[in-house]
Amino acid sequence: MSEVIIIENLSKYYSKYLALDNLSLRVPENENVGLLGPNGAGKSTTLKILCGLIRPSSGKAYVDGINVAEKPEQALSRIGAIIETPEFYPFLTPEETLSYFGRLRGMRGDGLKHRIKEVILLVRLEDWGNIKIEKFSRGMKQRLALAQALLHDPPVLILDEPALGLDPRGVVEFREIIEGVGREKTIFFASHQLVEVTQICNQVAIISHGKLLAYDSITQLEKKYQSLEHAYMELTGGSIG
Amino acid sequence: MGEFEKLRIVTGYEFLKHVRRRRLYIILGIALLAEAAMLILFPVLSDGYPRSVMVMAALLTIGPAMASIGAIFFAGDAIAGEFEGKTGFMLFTNPIKKLTLWTGKYLAGYIAVALLIIFTYAIIAISLFVIYGQVPFEMVKSLGLCLLYAAAVISVTFFFSSVSKGAMGATVITLLFVWVFSGILESVLAFTGNPYWFLISAQGDSIAYVYGGWEVFFEGFAGGNIGSMMEGFQTLSVGMAAWGMVMYMVLGFVLSVWISGRRQLA
Repeated sequence: MSEVIIIENLSKYYSKYLALDNLSLRVPENENVGLLGPNGAGKSTTLKILCGLIRPSSGKAYVDGINVAEKPEQALSRIGAIIETPEFYPFLTPEETLSYFGRLRGMRGDGLKHRIKEVILLVRLEDWGNIKIEKFSRGMKQRLALAQALLHDPPVLILDEPALGLDPRGVVEFREIIEGVGREKTIFFASHQLVEVTQICNQVAIISHGKLLAYDSITQLEKKYQSLEHAYMELTGGSIG
Repeated sequence: MGEFEKLRIVTGYEFLKHVRRRRLYIILGIALLAEAAMLILFPVLSDGYPRSVMVMAALLTIGPAMASIGAIFFAGDAIAGEFEGKTGFMLFTNPIKKLTLWTGKYLAGYIAVALLIIFTYAIIAISLFVIYGQVPFEMVKSLGLCLLYAAAVISVTFFFSSVSKGAMGATVITLLFVWVFSGILESVLAFTGNPYWFLISAQGDSIAYVYGGWEVFFEGFAGGNIGSMMEGFQTLSVGMAAWGMVMYMVLGFVLSVWISGRRQLA
């Protein structure tokens, strides 16, 4: 099985602050891998480097064999991403926004229109497709972000806290969508929600202070540490009473 | 898919944003009100309109002001806004070169400002034809310079947008640079007989001076009785003004692309 995401000795300094410290990990094709860690661990930094939004201080990142720093447009053509709390142009509607991004990815005509309707239905925004995004709540924008990540049916999904801001029903629906598409895609997603990670992912990477502390299947971690929660707490320096 | 096709797409959607925002209509309204005010107040406050169509054309030339305002309001948030508003997290994860993105935003902003300028000049042409029965050919030169000036101001705005944290900062700094800093320096250098062709405010002033220089322009003020205030003042030639604008247009845009290419969306 080939590795779709390769992170090699990635380090990142924000001025003097070391956010990533020689991080290395590989995500196999069609695997769903959760990236866990406390606040400031380097999760978002890792995902942003994979999406070409920031440059590493050293090290390399590859998506589908493409060096992200050297050929960012090529790498991005393989990725659907949700990074941070999504913001959209308030003057556009979801259909217009998805049309914009879809056309930038080479999608056209009836195929694009059909796909837009498909993903809008998938994220349950069918009643809001022609409403300007300025009227949207945070949760609705999160759903739209998922729609834009799935629009071009990318082989790789990179998601940073994708269920943040969703109501409980939304969280369940989101999980069902990811579980559905995850069977044919490689998903690398950062979250604080252990339950969510357990249900969506089969492997987990735990990082803290920019370093990789553990990278294993959830089953193995549960065998070693009784539960994923215990593993997380012990490895990141917390304690469970 | 080629970058030119992506450029067309970005330009289209960025222009759609300008149309959807109220700014375009507000600035169009301001242009209309400003010209109407001139046309109404002049005959009311003095003995009718100036005798010379050239003087009236110069007085009605608010194109440079509209070009500055339009350029700054349509371009101030072009780069800074994507970082400040975090829309870059969506936009930059698409497979498109930053050069294509910024060029598309530039073109969209330019089209919006160009429409504004053409609208303003259309009002001037109609007014002059109604009042004097003629439209001076110099208006074509003035319009051409004004359109080039708009491109220059947009580039300057892009530069400040690329270095500013926020859109408001970029807008304010550009306004200060174009109208205050450059204007003051122009006055000092011009009245002390030193070269000032490189100042963007001077290039903007030259747009009205195509009708006959500052003497024609100031004839409209108190019958031209301005004492020795303008002694020694030399206006920029059209050629010098145009070269200066091209310099700002190219340098400003190139620098903005280079700087924003190094910016990271952390």
